[in-house]
Amino acid sequence: MRVATKTMYDLIKFNLAHITDDLNKANTVVASGKRINNLSDDPVGLTNALQIKSNIANINQMNRNINMGKSWLLSSEGALTNVQNMLSDTRSLCVEMATATKSSSDREAAALTVQNTKDEIIALANTQVSGRYIFAGTNTEVLPFEADGTYNGNSSPFAIKTANDSVMQVGADGEAIFSDILTSLDDLITHLQGNDVDGIGASITTMQGHFSDISANISAIGSKVNRMEIKENILQELTISNTEQLSQIEDADIADAVMNLKSVQVAYQAALASSSSIMELSLMDYLK
Amino acid sequence: MSGIGVVWDIAKDALSSSRFGIDVAGHNIANVNTAGYSRQSTVQEAKHPMFFNGLQLGRGVTTSQVVRETDQFIENRLMQQGSNLAYSTEMENYIKVLEGVFNENSDASVSSLLNQYWSLWHDISNNPLGASERIALYEFSTLISERFQYLDGEMRQLKTDLSNVLGPALNRINQITNEIANLNNEIVGMETSNVANDLRDKRNTLVSELSQYIDTNSFEQDNGSLTIVSARGCVLVHSNTNYSISLGGTNGDRVEWLSSAGSKVDMTDYISNGKLGGWLDMRDEVLAKYNLDLDSMTREFIWATNQQHSQGVGLEALSNLTGSYAAVSATDAIGTAASGLSFADKIQDGSFQFWVYDSNGDVVTPGGDTITIDADTTTLNDVATLIGATDANITSSIVDGQLEISAANGYTFAFAGDSSNAMAALGVNTFFEGSTAGSMNVCDAIRTNFNLIAAGRIDANGVFATGDNSNAVAITDLQFSAMDIPNWSCDRIDGNTPGSITASVEGYYHALVGSLGTISESLSRERSFDEVSASKIGEIRDSLSGVSLDEEMTNLMKFQHAYTAAAKLISTADEMLATLLELK
Repeated sequence: MRVATKTMYDLIKFNLAHITDDLNKANTVVASGKRINNLSDDPVGLTNALQIKSNIANINQMNRNINMGKSWLLSSEGALTNVQNMLSDTRSLCVEMATATKSSSDREAAALTVQNTKDEIIALANTQVSGRYIFAGTNTEVLPFEADGTYNGNSSPFAIKTANDSVMQVGADGEAIFSDILTSLDDLITHLQGNDVDGIGASITTMQGHFSDISANISAIGSKVNRMEIKENILQELTISNTEQLSQIEDADIADAVMNLKSVQVAYQAALASSSSIMELSLMDYLK
Repeated sequence: MSGIGVVWDIAKDALSSSRFGIDVAGHNIANVNTAGYSRQSTVQEAKHPMFFNGLQLGRGVTTSQVVRETDQFIENRLMQQGSNLAYSTEMENYIKVLEGVFNENSDASVSSLLNQYWSLWHDISNNPLGASERIALYEFSTLISERFQYLDGEMRQLKTDLSNVLGPALNRINQITNEIANLNNEIVGMETSNVANDLRDKRNTLVSELSQYIDTNSFEQDNGSLTIVSARGCVLVHSNTNYSISLGGTNGDRVEWLSSAGSKVDMTDYISNGKLGGWLDMRDEVLAKYNLDLDSMTREFIWATNQQHSQGVGLEALSNLTGSYAAVSATDAIGTAASGLSFADKIQDGSFQFWVYDSNGDVVTPGGDTITIDADTTTLNDVATLIGATDANITSSIVDGQLEISAANGYTFAFAGDSSNAMAALGVNTFFEGSTAGSMNVCDAIRTNFNLIAAGRIDANGVFATGDNSNAVAITDLQFSAMDIPNWSCDRIDGNTPGSITASVEGYYHALVGSLGTISESLSRERSFDEVSASKIGEIRDSLSGVSLDEEMTNLMKFQHAYTAAAKLISTADEMLATLLELK
């Protein structure tokens, strides 16, 4: 084919432009470390990457929810364990005071101890986590128990979202847990003050009953904490696998990218060399 | 009679033929880089012989014509390919800009903003009383609204830019067609005797430039003039007349052809090639689609949040409010398009509870008031009347198409359990206002009082706890709930049709940027293909018509030597004549 002078220059321009474009792309991949730098680099991969990023963000959020829930549950557990100990002590006190050898003044003194216990249980029932009352249902900003044992909260326990389709109760209806105990303690105080040995004897069973109720509560909380920890572990694994997948889609294989850059570089140098040697050629150089 | 005079004649003709050869080679060399130039060459013929003494004696050379090496078929292919290339280059340029607008590789990308938006609702659900969580949600929702506004604004700007480039292009087209018409005139005049080589080259170059702008279909008349027809059969040039095209239409963004009779033809939707084709396809199909898609997505996003938000209650009941969506007609049913409400289509038959509280926060009417909405009959005026009738301490009216409710001093009110969607559609107790990407914003009511962010719900007795997070949790559920969102396809001739895909807002957005990327990728491929094929056809054209300097050098030497030889002939004839004259 006949080659016009313009054709040679046009081709040189065309080829150099293409190689510089390749060079630019190869360089962008190496410099950014990312395989996808524009929407059009890999639209399908990008869509997947966005989905995975959204998954990771969601997992992080669930982790935060679970951590927050755990802090509520652990505080409840701590408070209830203290209550359980006090109930156990109170029961022992009842057993002691139910014996005939105790005098009425001993029982008066014991009544004071029980009053203190009651105050402490109220204080525990008013436990707060970061400024919110955890035994107040959803009335979390109002002091749930007044000194006389009146309940100001409501009966719907505070719940948080622990997965896309499930919520878990982390707060509690304080009335259901504490009101009976407080009433029983008031009864016991009356019995002690009234030197009512039979009444004191009956309180032993009542205290025993409350003790096992609280134990049941504590173990329910324990199993919730357990479930949350399992979820946490699952989320951790999910984070790792998602991050890995994201990196596979998004990140450039650096060794590969550098090799590619090198080969484009070589091609560019070759094109420059051959172009410049072609441009030097002219019949005029051989005419005298 | 044969004599020395004949030698003189032959030498003279040989000299002039060689000089013509050198002239033409010089003309070629001079135009080595002229776009569209076709190399020329001289056609030399031996002169008609003469008879002398029974001999046929040659009488030398004559240059019969100067021809131009060209193939109109290849020229036409090249123009067509140039037109395709101009189309795909413009499309690619603008889609790259659009791609940059939707840049997803930064932390400020819409998809990460959407993630964070839901996260903030989670944070509120974890701490419904937290002021900082409420402020964060408000600030962030403003940011996300601004981001949507930005996307909308950028797309509108691109549309405006695309309409603005049309004007200068049309001016240039009219200039070109005018020049072609003049050239037609000149060529017809000149070609009575000779082929107008350079003028034809010039005309080809102009047609090729014209086809870079717009669809062209050209054919030559017998007399050498060129007729050019463009999209929708509109004639741009015929003989020595050109027909101009200009911007028209109500927004001045349509391309109109002006016939000789003065009537106008709107050819906008039929221009499919050249830069104009690329710009119009970009403006009326690609950009139009993404603009509509973004609006549809924003609309569903706003609605989903608002619908759930309107079911809840903030930290306090309201003392007065103005619905953020205005109706055009307060006397048409709110569930019909005639009401002019942005979300009229979402209203259905149902009811909601209206609660009034006294200054102690106690419920005034036990059980609340149930307000029933019939989508096809209840008008906005009816809603105002029904609400106003609930209690003497409540006044309700319609101002500028918006529902206004206010309570007497100390009294407050609240809504619950809306199964009719009327509250959300009227913008009562909602979170966002606006219904498109460009108009989206956080409601005025929320902006002035973060306590109105509805994280909790009112129970059957009209009581609500400030620590209740059940509505915030329900809002976080929306992140993954699928909804039917229109997925537009735009065609300049067939118009815009809303398809539908069922996806979460996030999923829809991912699909949107994915499809944008796919279009951009295929346009790049198309451009690259057009570039290669234009370059290939260019090579073929140049191999026939292009100037080779080496060739012209050789020609130059060939004619130079011939010239020297012809000169030698003269000196020989001169010597011969001198010899004769010196005879004594």
